[in-house]
Amino acid sequence: MKTHSTTFFVNNKEYTLDIPVHRTLLQVLRDDLSMTDVKYGCGAGECGACTVLVDGDRPILSCLTLAVLMNGRKITTVAGLEKEGELHPVQEAFVEEGAIQCGYCTPGMVLKSVSILEKNPSPTEKDIRRGLEGNICRCTGYEKIVKAVQRASIALAASSPVKQKEGGKV
Amino acid sequence: MSSRILPEFELLPHDIDEAVKMLGLHQGKASIMAGGTDLLVMMGDGFRADYVLSLGNIPDLAYIIEESGKWLRIGAMTTLAEVAESKVVQEKYTALWQSAAQNGSPQTRNMGTVVGNLLRASPSGDCCCAVLALDGWVVLEGPQGRREVAIDDFWLEYRATARRPDEIAVEVKLPDVKGNTTSAFRAMTRTTLDLAKLNAAVRLDMSGKQCENARVAIGAVAPTTIRVRKAEELIRGKEINEETLEEVGKVVSTEVSPIDDVRSTAEYRRTISGVLVKRVIEEACKGV
Repeated sequence: MKTHSTTFFVNNKEYTLDIPVHRTLLQVLRDDLSMTDVKYGCGAGECGACTVLVDGDRPILSCLTLAVLMNGRKITTVAGLEKEGELHPVQEAFVEEGAIQCGYCTPGMVLKSVSILEKNPSPTEKDIRRGLEGNICRCTGYEKIVKAVQRASIALAASSPVKQKEGGKV
Repeated sequence: MSSRILPEFELLPHDIDEAVKMLGLHQGKASIMAGGTDLLVMMGDGFRADYVLSLGNIPDLAYIIEESGKWLRIGAMTTLAEVAESKVVQEKYTALWQSAAQNGSPQTRNMGTVVGNLLRASPSGDCCCAVLALDGWVVLEGPQGRREVAIDDFWLEYRATARRPDEIAVEVKLPDVKGNTTSAFRAMTRTTLDLAKLNAAVRLDMSGKQCENARVAIGAVAPTTIRVRKAEELIRGKEINEETLEEVGKVVSTEVSPIDDVRSTAEYRRTISGVLVKRVIEEACKGV
């Protein structure tokens, strides 16, 4: 079986692996790198459970992506969102709003919410619902998920000038 | 295992020449993958491909190039999201912009491609409908070099195209549109993520209130996306008003041959097809 040496970053850590062409990014993340925060849902591009962010803010489906095509790419999974033990404001908001029931869709929902707010820091409810298309919550807890994104949007707006200052010092 | 196991495949060419050679070697046994949102799902569903050739490592296949006065060219790896973010496409090729921006989910738009949508040759393909209305051409690269096929001749039957087994579709190109040309697309779905139970697109070349030329495309009513030439003839050279639209609506319903399936019934599709085309024409007229 032919493998390809592939180098990519997951949550800012560099990995070089010999990967057979047919392996999906999801398989490599879960089975080879033990990153079980990325979930397998439908395998057909409908549920969004396997969502990861590529190059910062572009959500893709890891179950339909060949890992060998990720050479040089930066991948973010939900475990990569916290910084120095602090949850990301979107994660914080999901906890505060109780936007989690069984939790299986949560990694995808959180990453998708981060990508929505990256593109549009103050989305309307309609923008949020439109943006969350492609991520399904089996428990149908959508109301609280939408509220969590709204809460995170407010929290991010309040904290962003401070963050920029901090970033400037470092 | 965390997910289903895909068949083994090892074709990962680095340029078009290498890709064409690989296809020649595995005549008819290789499936070509662009974004993967169709092929990998089909393979998970039991479709057996002996070889899968991914275009993902070929550089420079993702582009939107406007050759002013000539063509708009869209590469084989250009994603639906990139098309949906293009100002040129939004302003001048509105039907295509709408078909890309409303396609699937944000994730699938970041992966799936316009050209892949054409090659899948599904009768309900949203971009198929828009590209047919916009008079597109598919550019194919094979052992004998490059050839171009008009979209009118591209789909032969249900999920069959004019692409030969040793050819790769590298680009779709759309003829330049003038200021008096307008277009629109609309899909009818149960939810926004669903495949279309019916979709339609039109391109109108207007002269004031009069329509000089029209292309009317409708999908999910026949084995391939089709043009409704009788409807085009009805509006060509005429002013588009309630009366002409009424006639267009009637003729569309007689020109389609829909079937019953999980998304809708033949009867519903036939009844609504005329209404949908009427509304798409009205929407395009607003864009003049």
